[in-house]
Amino acid sequence: MSMTHPKTPHVVDARYMEPPEPFVQTMEMLDTLKVGEKMLLLLFREPHPLYKALRQNGHAYETELLPDGTFEILITR
Amino acid sequence: MQALLSFENAPPFTAPLRFFITAPLLAALAGLLLLWEGGDLLLSRWHPGALALTHLLTVGFMLMVMLGALIQILPVVAGASLRSPLLLARLLHPLLTFGVLALAGGFASGEQQLLQVATLLLLSGGLLFLASAGRALWSAPSTSPTVAGLKIALLALSVSLLLGGALALALAHGWAWPLPELTNLHAGWALGAWSTVLLAAVAYVVVPMFQLTPAYQARSGWYFAPAMSAALLLWSAGEIFALPPLVLLGKQCAAGLGLAFVAQTMYLQTKRRRARPDAIYRFWQSGLGCGLFALLLVLTVNALPDAFSWPGWPVLIGILLLPGTFVALITGMLYKIVPFLGWMHLQSAGRGKLTAPSMGKLLPEEENLRQWRLYLFAMASLILAVFFPAWLARPAGALFAIAMGMLAWNLFRALRRYREHLRRIAEHFSEAV
Repeated sequence: MSMTHPKTPHVVDARYMEPPEPFVQTMEMLDTLKVGEKMLLLLFREPHPLYKALRQNGHAYETELLPDGTFEILITR
Repeated sequence: MQALLSFENAPPFTAPLRFFITAPLLAALAGLLLLWEGGDLLLSRWHPGALALTHLLTVGFMLMVMLGALIQILPVVAGASLRSPLLLARLLHPLLTFGVLALAGGFASGEQQLLQVATLLLLSGGLLFLASAGRALWSAPSTSPTVAGLKIALLALSVSLLLGGALALALAHGWAWPLPELTNLHAGWALGAWSTVLLAAVAYVVVPMFQLTPAYQARSGWYFAPAMSAALLLWSAGEIFALPPLVLLGKQCAAGLGLAFVAQTMYLQTKRRRARPDAIYRFWQSGLGCGLFALLLVLTVNALPDAFSWPGWPVLIGILLLPGTFVALITGMLYKIVPFLGWMHLQSAGRGKLTAPSMGKLLPEEENLRQWRLYLFAMASLILAVFFPAWLARPAGALFAIAMGMLAWNLFRALRRYREHLRRIAEHFSEAV
């Protein structure tokens, strides 16, 4: 599911997706980005296994928890 | 991609499965105990057989699944990696299993030595788990209500275990302690600050994930665990300083908070995006319904003790809360977590060349729903048995034992299907070589 967001035009809204879809879609979108570009993952939980994969691949990420319970994860390729 | 899906430190599938399959067998034993002992067991919560039955459900089923699941999911939900999860599972599982059998046996027979053995086994198991999980969890930052809740839940587990151990020894040695008050506190910490806080912390992740609902509001998530532990601290302070109004306030706040969590989850379930009711939805629906009634009853009985002096009320509350709420919510989660873990391990074993069978093939929904219907029938009989113990206690015990036996059987079959697929994968790769 692609949409735009003030933080970046590259967004995966995985809030109503079942695992492992959010992981798969995030990794797929990261592959399409240029180095230094950012993407945003929206999720109702903190994806610790994804964090681990991002760290292993050298991608930086920042997480913000919104009042409605959405985690916004901004990932830099 | 496949390598990334398999968590490097994740223990093998059989590590949590041994807890998940043993738990319903111990719950079935609780049903068999009721079948054996009959209606006397439901006359008062202080009946020795009732204490045995309670602990087969709380330690044998609830604690067994909770600790087994935490060994598996701490890295996934909290980013906290245990040092040797398989070794921990191998040591903890027999300690819990033999510990709860000795405890139930000790309660039912009044045998002093059994209670002492049970205390030793369960406290060793608890300490072992608390040390490993505590070390892993405290090195993880509290970036979500889930992580913060898990930390508070572990503290509450240690208080519950200490109180439980002290009570078992006091009972074994006949020490003149205020046993009813201490027992209530033990139950409050174990069910409120440990089980409910843990359940909520895990629910923040798994309810939206597995039932496709919106998320819990962040603020309620951050406040829930500290508020519940504050209520239990008030209650404890009230007991220590002999201040009955403070005890009542603590109890009512704890029940009110539980009620708020139940209501919030029921509301989220109405917003779910999956049309077909599956087993997790059904178990959560019936579990939350029982929780709602139980907590309303707790609030009423506490507020009007004279009007509700019948000893059957606490028994009814216990039945609604333990087999009715916690067993149901945990079973619902098992029906999602077990096939998900199996799928994940098979996917990783297939190394991207062989696709794992779908989750529904490992644990078919129709079988899970059939077990839920049987469980619901058993629950209805258990509730009615509180009012007609002489007639219904034995059939209700038998039905509950069958429903729990069927849960163990369903999970065992999932393990068998998993092993068949694993064998096929191994054959494929050996042929390819």
